[in-house]
Amino acid sequence: MSEPLIQCRSLTRTYTRGTETITPLERLDLDVMPGEFLALMGPSGSGKTTLLNLIAGIDRPTSGTLHIGGIDVGGLSRSRLADWRSRAVGYIFQLYNLVPVLTAYENVELPLLLHRMSGADRHSRVAAALDLVGITDRADHYPRQLSGGQEQRVAIARAIVADPAILVADEPTGDLDKASAAAIMELLGRLSREAGKTLIMVSHDPACAAHAGRILHLDKGRLVEHAAATVGAAGVTT
Amino acid sequence: MQTLPFTYSARNLGRSRLRLLLSVMGSAMVVLLVLAAGGFVRGMTTGLERTGDEANVMIVGIGSEESIERSEIPASVASLLDASVPGLRTAFGTTFVSPEVQVQLPVVAGAGSPEGRLVLVRGVTPTALLVHSQCQIAQGHWPRSGHNEILVGQLAHTKLGVSAAALAVGSTVNIDGRDWIVSGRLAAPRSVIDAEIWMPLADLKEATRRLTDSCVIATLGTGPGAAEFADVAAFARQRLDLEITAMTESSYYARLAGFFAPVRAVVWITAGLIGLGGVFGGLNTMYAAFASRVRELGMLQCLGFRRSAIVLSMLQESCLATASGALLASAAAVFFLDGVAVQFSMGAFGLLIDAPALLVGLGAGLLLGLLGTIAPAYRCLKLPISESLKSI
Repeated sequence: MSEPLIQCRSLTRTYTRGTETITPLERLDLDVMPGEFLALMGPSGSGKTTLLNLIAGIDRPTSGTLHIGGIDVGGLSRSRLADWRSRAVGYIFQLYNLVPVLTAYENVELPLLLHRMSGADRHSRVAAALDLVGITDRADHYPRQLSGGQEQRVAIARAIVADPAILVADEPTGDLDKASAAAIMELLGRLSREAGKTLIMVSHDPACAAHAGRILHLDKGRLVEHAAATVGAAGVTT
Repeated sequence: MQTLPFTYSARNLGRSRLRLLLSVMGSAMVVLLVLAAGGFVRGMTTGLERTGDEANVMIVGIGSEESIERSEIPASVASLLDASVPGLRTAFGTTFVSPEVQVQLPVVAGAGSPEGRLVLVRGVTPTALLVHSQCQIAQGHWPRSGHNEILVGQLAHTKLGVSAAALAVGSTVNIDGRDWIVSGRLAAPRSVIDAEIWMPLADLKEATRRLTDSCVIATLGTGPGAAEFADVAAFARQRLDLEITAMTESSYYARLAGFFAPVRAVVWITAGLIGLGGVFGGLNTMYAAFASRVRELGMLQCLGFRRSAIVLSMLQESCLATASGALLASAAAVFFLDGVAVQFSMGAFGLLIDAPALLVGLGAGLLLGLLGTIAPAYRCLKLPISESLKSI
């Protein structure tokens, strides 16, 4: 059996605002296997996004350990963490966060500028990513010329273009209509199944979470329930 | 460090046309002011420097080294110098020795002030055109002695506060209560002589009832056997009876330029203070520009771009705007400010928008971009990435 890709042990995150101390995540233990599609659910303030941000390397734990691919992510310096993020993680945002002054192609190309590669190699990778999300014909369009679903597809292409092992998605369908949301979920599921990406997704929507292989429920910073999805990523009822 | 593409910085300028217009025009105004200050300082300094020639030696009365107008030396000094110091420059049998009287006199011309304005009037002989090589008669003819004729510098009208037409060849000018006819226009570009009035030496002496000269200006020769400054200085020292001293013309005007150092400092300080106001305006504009995309800045960090790369991109963006403003201001300065006449106690000079002045202006534009960006960039990037991503 393979080792977990992500290992959280007593993972705690505390914020101090004035005299108030907030602990959105408290002593969390979690293992995520390579290629796993994990959904994080729970009420607002339950710590879902905090956990997602810690795994994505854009926040640091206050205590506990977080090992990803054997690397103690919490112990990396700011610049090393930035380098690690660029290689290991693709982030999919609820509001897409595309750069409005860049075309779809240029948005997808952005993460590759952090890596040493030839222009031709970069071009082929961007083209492949756009093709994978089915948006090749919109490559020259600016975000304002795209629908919400198309924007999210571009954002997904941007997340996968550098071929990271982990994809994190924060409410990826939260701003989409039902049909677009279903299409995006189908795409994410395909990425997990066919490309072997480890996918961790925050969602309030049980229908979206049902695409995951495993669902975690968090409340007040603690893991309250592990559940296998009713419709797994592989489409198997468990 | 992997940087963001330049196109990102350039296209960000187009996000808000109003903001871009404010940045470019704000920068242009500040840079135009800096260029005006630079042009003033360059014009004044160059005007005084170019009036003095390294090869010219001035003989003035002892104790009058700082003001030729106070100097009085015997009229015989010019011929004595010519006879006593071999190796002065000559051409066609004429030695480059120019006896001169320099005096500020009230001059009334055209519709100018009825009381007149003080203008430097120089009494000269034709050898003046030999020693002052930057001077030439641009129009008309050399003034004939005894005919009440004068040469008028091309910027003299600025000093008098009248139009150039009021000093056209053939017009009449009243100097110290006596009418003189403009026989020609004197051109001495970029030197303070351009604002002077020249008349025959004998006529000025007669008009001012003086027998002495103010100074003698001689040009040192070149090549073997040429006189050196030390030779003229020795002549001045040895002729104790004449009570004269020698100095180079360039050192005299350099000293005059030194007297105006406080004026130049005040001009720079004023420009600097207004520039500081421009920086604060720039801070406000750039903060508004960056604050509106804090979430995007967080996303870029999320992708792996370092803060330094993002700051560099912000600097590119704001420097591009301010440099555009600086270029506009430079073009405006070259077309509308260069050569604009400014009067001062020594006469008048033209604003000089030359390469050093333009470099100062462009530097000011870039500095404006740099200073206007750092604080807003710091403020927008100091947020944790997770907080930035929540920004609306």
